[in-house]
Amino acid sequence: MFLNSQKALLKSDGTRLDDRLPSHVRPAFLKTGAVSVAAGSAYAEFGSTKVIVSVYGPRESKKAQAFSDIGRLNCDVKFTSFATPLRGKAGQDVSDKEFSVLLHKALEDAVDLHSFPKTTVDVFALVLQSGGGDLPAIITCASLALADAGIVMHDIVAAISLSCVGKDLLLDPTYKEESQQDGSVFIALMTSRREITQVTFTGEWSSTKASEALELCCDACVKLGEVMRVCLKEDAAEATEDT
Amino acid sequence: MSANEYRTPGEVLGWASEYVAGPGTYVWHEKVYASVVGLLRLTPAATDVEDQRPTIEVTREKERGAVPEPGTVVTAKITKLFPRQAAASIVCVGPRAVRDKFTGIIRQQDVRATEIDKVDMHTSFRPGDIVRAEVISLGDSRAYYLSTAKNELGVVSATSDAGAAMVPVSWQEMQCPITGQREPRKVAKVI
Repeated sequence: MFLNSQKALLKSDGTRLDDRLPSHVRPAFLKTGAVSVAAGSAYAEFGSTKVIVSVYGPRESKKAQAFSDIGRLNCDVKFTSFATPLRGKAGQDVSDKEFSVLLHKALEDAVDLHSFPKTTVDVFALVLQSGGGDLPAIITCASLALADAGIVMHDIVAAISLSCVGKDLLLDPTYKEESQQDGSVFIALMTSRREITQVTFTGEWSSTKASEALELCCDACVKLGEVMRVCLKEDAAEATEDT
Repeated sequence: MSANEYRTPGEVLGWASEYVAGPGTYVWHEKVYASVVGLLRLTPAATDVEDQRPTIEVTREKERGAVPEPGTVVTAKITKLFPRQAAASIVCVGPRAVRDKFTGIIRQQDVRATEIDKVDMHTSFRPGDIVRAEVISLGDSRAYYLSTAKNELGVVSATSDAGAAMVPVSWQEMQCPITGQREPRKVAKVI
């Protein structure tokens, strides 16, 4: 059974079911300015994973919150009910809250909270289709949305995940690969300064395999960061031509 | 404008020993980095300054929603009146509109610079008045602290009981053009 499941993910020539090499990421489509009423927004597709993020603010904090000399970053992640193969129920469940906490941790080191004292920046992420690697797609898209909103940031954050299946390390896994993985690692990286803002390991990892996985993820994040910068520049130039 | 001329957060712009970091940039480990998406701009230093490094800044073209900061002049609308303070909703920061609501408070001691003890809030403002005020501090968790203590600050637009926009006649009175009724206000001296 184990051999069958392993063979089902890799073909005889070493490529994956979608003809990718184990170290290749899925094709990405990134676009800012997807939501007109938001201060900043972005839409991202990674293979069959589709995410849209809106940023509102800086705006007034709610009265229940205490005074803060620095700004506040609120993150909220939701899945649409049609996002997963099994129909999800409305509202936030446990994994949505966990994703919100992880998104906040990944972004708060990159955002300069001192640039908007006493106010709040709200980040709303909506997963339209869950096709594997959801959290990295959310973080990448949220970073683009914050930059689109003009929030002062130290760096943009690129995120990627990797699945361990037997002896193979599969970068940017699909839903099917994620469901058969032995372990996984997800990393969020400030690409220019090469600082990690978030890393999470699940499953069993040896130290050599873990460091090899981290190297793979960091390299992929740096390349993804370059794609993100090109997207931001082109959308900024396009917005200038419109006005 | 070519896309290549834009800078994104985290891009290295130069050495901190060669440039002064201006708006939209920051210094970290002896290098100047961009912190917003925008165009790079170099400003040569003035000839009489000892520091001859040019100032480097990244300017954003799509304006962000304005946020009140201490020292800025804001336009606000009085929403509630209390015996010792007036609550206002900030609508503009300088010439720029605010996207979301910000609450400000004008305290009794900040209404005018003279005769502070004799200030009566009801003869200075009414709910619905548009005032120009200066942000003096971030205040508390509820509101920014505003001040109208200068001559150029105060009520700039008010509506009378008859529903007409009143005309300022002195620094503490406004008159309705329809009924001739005079109402007391802390009037701004509009230049």
